This record gives sequence, C-alpha cells and structure tokens, in this order.
Amino acid sequence: MGTEAMPAGCGTTSREATATATVIGFFDAYRARDVEGMIELCTDNADFRYVPFEVWGRQRVLHGDGKVCTIGKPIWTALIDAFPDLINTVTSIRADGEGNVAVQADISGTQAKDFGVIACAGGDFELPHLFLFHVTGHGLIDDVVSYWDNAQWKKQLGWFEVD
Amino acid sequence: MSARKVAREFFDHMQAADVDEILCMMTPDAAVSLVPLQVHGSMAAKGGDYLRELARSFPDLVIRLRRLFVTTDNTAVAEITIEGTQADAFLGAANLEKHVDLDQGWILEVTPDDRISAVTAYWDQNQLYRRLGVKRLDKITITTRGGGVGYRGHASGLRHDVT
Repeated sequence: MGTEAMPAGCGTTSREATATATVIGFFDAYRARDVEGMIELCTDNADFRYVPFEVWGRQRVLHGDGKVCTIGKPIWTALIDAFPDLINTVTSIRADGEGNVAVQADISGTQAKDFGVIACAGGDFELPHLFLFHVTGHGLIDDVVSYWDNAQWKKQLGWFEVD
Repeated sequence: MSARKVAREFFDHMQAADVDEILCMMTPDAAVSLVPLQVHGSMAAKGGDYLRELARSFPDLVIRLRRLFVTTDNTAVAEITIEGTQADAFLGAANLEKHVDLDQGWILEVTPDDRISAVTAYWDQNQLYRRLGVKRLDKITITTRGGGVGYRGHASGLRHDVT
C-alpha cells in the first residue's frame, strides 16, 4: 500500500491531519532518497533515536541517539549511499491529536557498498520497521524514533556476526 | 476504561508474568505479530507461548513504560524497556545469567469495549542476542562461554530460526 492510499483516520482533527501529512511527506522524501527533503520536514533541533543502531567498541558503545541534523542525516546519507535503490512502503499510519504518529513501513534495498560491519555481498533486504514521530503544531517533526530487527537485516544480507 | 489503561494493565500483567490475565484481555480471535521472531498468528497460542517463555526465562522481569499514546482509531502505541536477568534458555539462547535491558515498541489495537484485538511488537533481536552473549546469528546457541551447544529452542512452538 502506498502512502497516497493511507487515510489519516476517521474524524481527523486538524492537528492529526497536519501531523499525518507531514509524516507522509517525510516518507515520500525518503522514498525519493531526498535527505535534504526529509530534514526540511524536521525542526532544526529535532531529536533522533534509531533504537537498534548500536556499535560496540572496546571502550564505548555508540548509539543512534541524538539529533536529526547530527546523527540522523549522516545515517540516512550513508544508508542511501550503501543501498542506492532504497525504498519504503508505508503499511499503516496512525496519529493522535497531540502530534504523535506511529508508522509501520517496510524498507527494502540492494546493497552496493559496505554498511557498518555488514560487508557488501550484493544482497537485498526487506525489513519491517516501526517509526514513531512527534510533529509540532506547526507541522514539523521534532522527534523521530525507529525500531527494526538487525538480526533479520544481517541474515538477509548474508552477514551472521552479532557484532 | 480507556485504551491507555488497557495498555498499562497489559504491561503490568507482563511484568507480573500473569499470562492468563493478559489472554483474558484479548478478543477470542486476537492476533499477534512478534515481528523480530517472524511469529504471526493467534495471540492465545503463539502470543501466550512467547509470554510464558519470557516469564520463565526472566523471573525478575521489569517492564518500564517509557512512552504511551493512543491514536484516533483506539490503538495504544507504547515504547517499553524490558529488564531482567536470564534464568533459563530463551529463544534458543543458552542461559548465561546475563542481565538484559532491551527497548521495544508495541502496538495494541483496542476495541470499543476495551478488549485487545491485535498485538504487534518490534525490537532488535540482534541487540537481545548481544546482551545474552550470542556471537553468531546462525549459531545462536554458541555463546561467549561456549555453553549450551546443542540446545535447539524450547518446545514452545515459536520459530527461532535456529540452525
């Protein structure tokens, strides 16, 4: 199901409709691999948390937790660089009247370069994601959270190391 | 009651290992999708199996509800952290008595009469395996201490992709 077909829900409030439209625009930009377009839909100081993004080093653990402009942008850019045909299909959008939006989406792509620890073997993947957004009353995203399963992702790409 | 209260009760019962109480909150045909386990089906059967295995493997389980909102279609969307110390094999991983903390996203679809008709859960199984000491996704029973080789998952009916 494409985002065009996704209803904002029955009895929408203006806040709900605005938030839903913003998030649909975000996924449209993501589908077009337009990182600047994604960022333009976020506030300057938007929070970002990709929960499974976790790199364990000897001295410290790096988390995908920070700001869209400093953590989100490099991750999205690197992801699109490694998977140049990256695409998403939104399967559900649910919103409340306070700017919270939950999105279930399948993200897929073909690996063209190494990504993190995952060496490029030319494999492809399709992976369900849960995204949680908060959208301001002005229609800008000020919080992005995502969950997915890296184990499935790695296995689909032929990589079997946990770390 | 409200969907918000239903969700809080659901997670309270999960922490208390009251699986039967959770199942009493469901509609008769309630569905479950445990996305990282690729488990999809009946909440009463497959959902119950997972929750019992979780309770048995982590008897000191603590559920921390970090975020909860209810969308206009009466769906409760929650971010939780589960914490506990492993006391039994879990999802094919041998018991190394590791402490686990894992962020998860849950979607509970609630009917107008406050029953749960569908449950969908997201988390990163790779993070879970890392915390349990698993080193390889294709040999999840081989851990950092080398224990538990030969275990092929609990006879719960859950699919663990153990090879």
